[in-house]
Order: sequence, then structure tokens, then C-alpha cells
Amino acid sequence: MAIINSEAFREFENDAKTLSNPALEDFRKKGGKVIGLMYHFIPEEIITAGGMLPYRMRATGSKGTEMSDSCFTQINCSLVRHFYDSGLKGRMAFLDGVVSVNNCDHIRRLYDNWKWKIKTPYMHFLCFPKKTGKEQVKWYREQLEGFRKSLEETFKVRITDEKLHDAIKLHNETRRLQRELYELRKGDVPPITGAETLSTMVAATCMPRDRYNTLLKQLIQDCKASKGRNGYKARIVLFGGEIDDPKFVDTIESQGVLVVGDVLGYGSRAIAANVDETGDPLEALSRYQLVDRPADVRIFGTSFDRNEYVVKTVKEFKGDGVISVRLPQCDLYGIEQTTLSFHLKKNRIPHLGLETEYVLESTGQIKTRVQAFLESISEARHDRNE
Amino acid sequence: MTATNKGLQRFYEYRDRIAGLIKTMQESPEPNPLLIRFFTLINEQDKRVIDCLENHKPLIMSHYGNAGEIFAAMDIECYGPEDNLFVHQQFTKDMEESDNSPFPQDMCALTKLVAWGCLTNIIPTPTMIVAMLQPCDALSAVQEAVQNMEGWKDIPTFAPDPTYGRDKSDYVYFAGELKRMIAFLEHHTGRKMDYGKLRDVVEETNRQYEAWAEYNELRRAVPCPHNSFIGGKLGWIMTQHMKAGQAEVTEIMKMLAFDAEQKVKAKQGPLPKEKIRVMWADMIPTWADPIAAWLEQERGANVVMDFQSATPYERIDTSTEESMLLGLARRTMSEIPMIRAARGKVDYMIEDLTRLVKDYKCDCVIFPGHTGHKDQSASIGFMKEACRELNVPLLSLAADNFDPRTAPLDVMKRQIGEFFDAHELGK
Repeated sequence: MAIINSEAFREFENDAKTLSNPALEDFRKKGGKVIGLMYHFIPEEIITAGGMLPYRMRATGSKGTEMSDSCFTQINCSLVRHFYDSGLKGRMAFLDGVVSVNNCDHIRRLYDNWKWKIKTPYMHFLCFPKKTGKEQVKWYREQLEGFRKSLEETFKVRITDEKLHDAIKLHNETRRLQRELYELRKGDVPPITGAETLSTMVAATCMPRDRYNTLLKQLIQDCKASKGRNGYKARIVLFGGEIDDPKFVDTIESQGVLVVGDVLGYGSRAIAANVDETGDPLEALSRYQLVDRPADVRIFGTSFDRNEYVVKTVKEFKGDGVISVRLPQCDLYGIEQTTLSFHLKKNRIPHLGLETEYVLESTGQIKTRVQAFLESISEARHDRNE
Repeated sequence: MTATNKGLQRFYEYRDRIAGLIKTMQESPEPNPLLIRFFTLINEQDKRVIDCLENHKPLIMSHYGNAGEIFAAMDIECYGPEDNLFVHQQFTKDMEESDNSPFPQDMCALTKLVAWGCLTNIIPTPTMIVAMLQPCDALSAVQEAVQNMEGWKDIPTFAPDPTYGRDKSDYVYFAGELKRMIAFLEHHTGRKMDYGKLRDVVEETNRQYEAWAEYNELRRAVPCPHNSFIGGKLGWIMTQHMKAGQAEVTEIMKMLAFDAEQKVKAKQGPLPKEKIRVMWADMIPTWADPIAAWLEQERGANVVMDFQSATPYERIDTSTEESMLLGLARRTMSEIPMIRAARGKVDYMIEDLTRLVKDYKCDCVIFPGHTGHKDQSASIGFMKEACRELNVPLLSLAADNFDPRTAPLDVMKRQIGEFFDAHELGK
């Protein structure tokens, strides 16, 4: 399904296919430390400011969960089981540290289990509020202060405000470039597929940021020079949590649709806003995670805005419909998917709700359902035209 | 006033059904005074909610762990959306009908039922909502869904934000949340918080928890003085699902403790021979009665302790406004059953499990594997380890605490029976 011919993209694509990558290995060979983040909400900028590499944990390439099954049951989601299994098998042994927050019920226990058996040298836990407000920003700022001190003491580094400001600028530059890439997808002939975009976004979370920005600039130039793709049957906006597998998006696109926009953890929700570059950097980072960026489902009272954000994305990216995806056993996205379906129905936007396991094993059902969804989109178009 | 909505109509049904039950109990040859008083409290609560609904008085929809002492001190009535749906479960088809819910079927029955109940308006709409963001994802998520439903979305809502730890800073932060909750309630009711009344309410709930703790101590005796789950069922409903600070609740808990004390002194238990002492590592399921009866009658087993019953409540210092709010923050985040087991790191739950197995001389642990308790299921490795160290066997089931259809009783009996046999328990 690839449409982009770009050296930069090929590197991103390879990085998203594996857990480690040459740039990361090179960083480590030079003595760099790699800190794994179990989920978002953890400001990568603090780690970058400490001269370390923030790495968004994934279980890409996981072949099973046999080693983790004794610590989880069938009602735990496949994401944590694959993460843990990968950890137990040493697939993430390159991590010098792991940081997590009290995210969902599965992930917070993944942290406990990880600490118990995998014993990554440095472990740190942040208490992230479950709603937004100035008191919550203050609380989380204190958590981040503790995190900064902990990194400084453990890794013998100094994370000054000045370094934090520099890191914020660097990561904001990534977001700005990624938004530029997303802008190119709004046109009638998008130069990059949804799967390619996801590879590009995932790659940002596993390599040194300055190198990523350099490559991304090149990719944007390559995209601008590309003829793009037309002839697709429908433009889709993808909604979900921490989808990190481009193959899943590719499976959807294999049915003749093009994913032109998204509301994903690795996608637009991660880049829609910048961190404030002025004032107290820790407060800015706290406010970014709690207030400025589009909220994750974990934050109470945000679903209406998030649903509106999906509708806005559909309009901006000229989407014909929305495909939402949820991991079985995820209560947060289960409810969210239902609420979103009500909202999209009210806005007369076709919606397909999918469930898929973390590791894509069978694509047949997804393909069949996307084909059926395409038909309903055609019918909706027909109704609108009549 | 004629019932104008389904939710109010439901409350009329609840009120009348419980009134009928009380009458039947009163007329029985051997009326149980404790149960009559218990059901009278439920009936009175239903009547107060009906009064609010009929006369448009302030009414909060909230959940068990939201410092109900504050609602009571402000004289605001409150109901839990799930409370009556489960009390009256065997008289309705709600559970079956909620299968048609658009919400995912792999969620716990309680949250599905609450979502379904709000969507279909069999739960009445309150004037305010105080949401609860602990202990699990599903509860937060279902309240988020309610925020989007027609007829519900404009109801003023406040959600106290719990932290993850058990340090003083956690309680100070949450006490601040409680202050903001009070401001919210004051704003929407026009009533002022009366801290003198809060003191009275908290002192009464202190007495309730002391009586409950005393009762729990008595259950350590061999044989256990009462049947499985007894204290937890009564204590949980009366302290978490009824208006806080009622002296009648204290009386009932004291009656229970007094009765247990007499039996302990007489070395009497409900079983002819107590062969197996079980630790139930979760809340008490709605289908507890039939499984408890089978355990007792067929296997001589008594569930002597469970996570719903056991919680080491600390007395709240009522000397100042600050000390009361701080104490309520601690109670709310670290002591209330289910929250105690689920909020925060796994160590808390494992420490409790270890202490309870030792204190109650349990021969085994049964973990029901409730569908909604994803955190507990992800703690199964820790539970196995703890049980290995304690040298007691652990049985892990796959049930739903609120839906007996998930794991049929016969299947559970077989699994428990095989477990007992395999470990030669009760031999």
C-alpha cells in the first residue's frame, strides 16, 4: 500500500517494525541512557533534558503471551500481556529505566508486575490526576519535580530549567513538523497513507529527537514532491488509543480506503498543541498534559470535547467516515466507542467500531467489516445526494 | 403526585416491595429484629428519595466511596444508581435487558447495568451528580457515558479526584477536593456546610466502624460465630449505601457484634463442624447466598473473611474542620472496601490478603476473578506468591460479582469442590 518513495520514510518504517533500531543502538553505544515510557502523560522533555532518550514502550513483533499468562488473566487486555511477555523475554532489555503513571487498571498493574519480575534498573511512578483543573496542574507539577530529582540523582545529571526549555523547543519542533505532515493529508491527493503516517509517528518515540526532526523534514519535502494518491474509495478518520501497529492501518487501507486523519494517542492527540515555551517549564509540561493537548479517555469529563474533536477532524480532513478501534477488555475505550457512536450518529457521520487484539493475528474479519462499512458510506453519500 | 418518570415509578415499586417484605418478616413466627431494622432503613431511604423526586428537592446521585458524611451533614439526600437495581435484582429483568445495551459486553455487569439504567431512565435523574473516579476504569467510564446522555448531560457534576498513594500529601490533596465538593454542593443547593453537624455525623460513623471492627474481630474465633459474608453484607450496605451517620446503623452493628460475642463465648458456630475456613479475596457477590449455603452444607466451609468486610477503619479526629476533612480523605481513599483493594499499588492489597489469611486462620483463598476488577486479575501473580508464602492454596475463578450468569453456580461448585479435594481441605 506504500505510496511514498523516501529514504527518510524507509528508516521510520523500519524503526516502527522493530523494538530497537540503529539510531537507538548508536545512542546507547555512546553511553546514552534509554528510559521507557509505559504510556503517554509522561513528559518526554524531562528525559531529553537529562540527555537521555525517551522511548515509548511497545511490544512490536511479540509472538505470544505464554510467559506473562501466569501474572494476568483472560480479562486483562492483550496490550499488557504482550508488553509483559516482551519484558520477560528480554526484548526490552535495552531500557535503563521505566516510567509509568496510574493510567488504566491494566497498565498500573503492568507496572507493579514489571517492577516485581523484570527489574529494569530504574523504575519511577507518577500519579497523574483523573480530571483537569488548576489544582491538578499544581499536583502534577509536583510529581514532575519529583521525577526530575529522581532522574538527576539516579543518572547523575543536571536537569536545569534552561535544559528543559531547550528540550521543550526540540519536542515542539517535532510536533510542528508532524502537524505539517498532517496538513498535507488534508488535500484531495494525500502524499502519504495512514499506515505510513503511523510508522512515522511511532518512529518519533524510539530514536534521538534531533535525528528524527532532520529525517522528518526530509520526508515532508519528499511528500511535497510526491504525486500522491487518488482513486481511493473513501477517506477515513481513525479513532482509538495507543495503536502502534501500522499493519493494522494497512489492513484497513487494503480495502481501498485511505486513512487521511486520526484521533490517536500516537497521532493527532500527541501533536495538536505545543508546550508553552515561556515561564516555569515544569508547570508548562504539567499544563500541556492536563489541559492543553486533546485529552485522553482517562481524564474524566472530556469525552464531549473529544467527540467534537473527532467531528472537527472529519471536517478538516474531509473524512467520509470514522473507524474507531478498541482492545477487548478495555473499559475506557469500550465506553468511549459507544459514546462516540452516539455523537457521530447525531452528526450523521458513518462510523464503524472495531475490536482488535494488540497483535494483529487475523485480518479477515477486519477486511470484511471495512468492506461492509464502505457500502454504508456509499449509501450515506447516495442519501445525501438525493 | 403521579409518577411522571420511569425512575420515580421504579422507586415506588422498590418502596412497596420492601414494605411488603418487612410486613412479612414482622408476621413470621420468629421475626428477626435485626433484619427488620435493616430493611426498615432501606425503606426509609427509598421514601426520602421519593420525597425529593416528587417535590424537586436537592438530590445527589453518587457512589459509595464519596464521603457521604458530607452529604448527610448538609442534609442532602443521595442515592447510588446501582443500589436498588441490585437489591431488587431477582424481581426484575434488568440484567437480561441490559444485554441489549450498546455498551461492551465484556464490562462488569454493574457498570453495564448503570449505563443501561441511565440510558433507559429506570434510574431517576438527580439534581446533582457527584461522580467517583475510583477504584476502577469502568466506573469512571460509565459516569463519563452518563455525561453524554440526553436528560443527564446538563446535570451539574463534580468529581473528586483521587490520587494514587497513601501519604499525607495524598490526603491533603483529596481533602482539598472535598472542600471543592462542598463548595459545589453549596452553590447548587444554596445550603451552607454545617461543620458542627459534620462532627456529629462523623462521630456516629466512627462508632459504626468501631462496632463493625469489633464484629470482625469476633469472626477470628474458631469456629467462626456467624455464617459466611454476614457482617460485610450488612455493614457495607448500611455504611456505604445509606445516609451516613444514622444511629440505627450503629445499633444494628452492635446487635450483630453482641450476638457474635455470645456465640464465641459459647464456642458456637453456624456449622455443625467447621472444616474449612475460606478467605474470599474480593467483594461479596450478589450470588453469595447460594454459594455460601452450598459451601456450608456440603463442604463444612465458612467464608470467614472477605475484602468487603475487612477494612481497618481508623477513627477520624473530629476536633477541627481540617482534621475531619483529612480523616474523610483517608477513609475515602484508603479504607472503603473495594477502593482499599484496588486503588494504588498492588502491595496494599497483598498486605491485606496476607494479614487476613493469618489473622482469620484461613485454610485457603478463593479469588472470584470478577470481570470488573481488571487490576485484581492483573495481580494474580502476586496473589499466588503470597499464598505460596502463607502455605495456603489459592483458587482463581472467572466470575462476575453482579451477574450469576457469567459463571453458573453449578460450574463454580464443581470448581470449588475439585479445589477442596485436590488440596484435601476439610478432610
